[in-house]
Amino acid sequence: MKKEKVQVRICVGTACFVQGGSDLLLYNDFVDPAIIAECEIEGCSCLETCKAGGEGAPYVQINGEVHGKVTQEEFARLLAEAVRKNA
Amino acid sequence: MNNVFIDVDYAQIYKHGQKIGGDVFLLSRNPESNQIVCTLSDGLGSGVKANVLASMTAHMAHKLSFSPISLSHSAEIIMNTLPVCKERKISYSTFTIADIHYKNDMENINVRLVEYDNPLSLRFRGTEKITWERERNELRREAAFKKEVVQYSTFDMEIGERLIMFSDGVAQSGLGKTLPLGWRNSGVEAFVTDLVSKQPDISSRELSAAIVQKANSLDGMCSKDDITAVVVYIRRPRKTVIVTGPPFSKESDEVLGEKIRAFDGRKIVSGGTTALIVSRLFNKKITVDLSCWSPDIPPASKMEGIDLVTEGMLTLSQVAKVLEDKTPPSTLPNSPVRKFVEILLDSDQIHFIVGTKINEAHQDPNIPVEIGIRRTIVGRLRAALENIYLKETSQEYL
Repeated sequence: MKKEKVQVRICVGTACFVQGGSDLLLYNDFVDPAIIAECEIEGCSCLETCKAGGEGAPYVQINGEVHGKVTQEEFARLLAEAVRKNA
Repeated sequence: MNNVFIDVDYAQIYKHGQKIGGDVFLLSRNPESNQIVCTLSDGLGSGVKANVLASMTAHMAHKLSFSPISLSHSAEIIMNTLPVCKERKISYSTFTIADIHYKNDMENINVRLVEYDNPLSLRFRGTEKITWERERNELRREAAFKKEVVQYSTFDMEIGERLIMFSDGVAQSGLGKTLPLGWRNSGVEAFVTDLVSKQPDISSRELSAAIVQKANSLDGMCSKDDITAVVVYIRRPRKTVIVTGPPFSKESDEVLGEKIRAFDGRKIVSGGTTALIVSRLFNKKITVDLSCWSPDIPPASKMEGIDLVTEGMLTLSQVAKVLEDKTPPSTLPNSPVRKFVEILLDSDQIHFIVGTKINEAHQDPNIPVEIGIRRTIVGRLRAALENIYLKETSQEYL
């Protein structure tokens, strides 16, 4: 059976977008292509964590789990980790 | 709001290499007297001199049309006032004036048309050409090099009718090149018939642009004269609703959904949270289109039943900026802002439904850019749409 890809959602709502979300959308430039190939990355208009007092923008959801204050390095690391777990 | 709309727009290309044109088009809407006056004037020659002649003619014709002086008298005044060309010893510029009157309920749209030496205007009902009687009036001025014929006509226009006026740059395009005698009125007529049969609802903006582009291409993309086309189109208004911001209370969500569902026209949802609410209400999935975005403008999304779904404040402020700067959308990169502006410019009546709930996430002092206040941005959009683009707008809060 073909294994499921890692489901990734990047928030592109206003607050997330201006606080680093736009940097994450450049994932092709800083994440290993082999890892991207294992992920299904999509945008999302709001993950609705910002209003519930989360850690801070930008938010990313990986396989259902929401992470806050995600930087580019952090994003690459989280994806690599998720792909390893998924294998 | 009215259920009839008079759509007037024009397109223009100057003679190749000229920075200023000898064709001048003026449009005024005077809602107090229920009058719209469009004036197209073509000055002798091209460049600065032609522009001076044409501007003078157009402005005089325009001002006189709003005054109680009879049109024939006005035409005479204009011709006698024009300055004389130093080389050719003549004072000369052509004009077409369409003086459109309508009743308060927009029924009975009456047009008084004055044509002097421009190619004769065309009228269409859908794709069918309309011919009408013109009264020829000969004017003899002192020192004029020939007898001048001014043609007057009066007619009513109904829904679905178009009046097309253009300068000789259109009728003579391709002259001696692709077409021995130029495009001529018959060519323009065939082109319009063909285009309207393919796109029956084509707006004045698109139709005038298409005519001008075609004329320019007949001239080998190197226009031999200033090319100007004006289209007056009587039609039902195109309506657009812009939904931005979540309603103040959750109970109003259903009201919002009902309003969107009942709206007859194009629908734009601007705002991430708003889009989530609408997607929940309509039970439709949102997919974010990650292919087109820039550091200033977050990507747009797609949702069935909604024409455009964008992010909120950043996109709206860019849209307001584009409208205020009068940037033509065709020069913008392919972005949600471009799609947004294109929809707005193709609408006649724009309704805003503004949610008044405060977005806590926007109140974070760490946010590096300024996020405006929704009400202020909507105010800017409405002012630009009404004052610059002559659109009708309305607004409600939820």
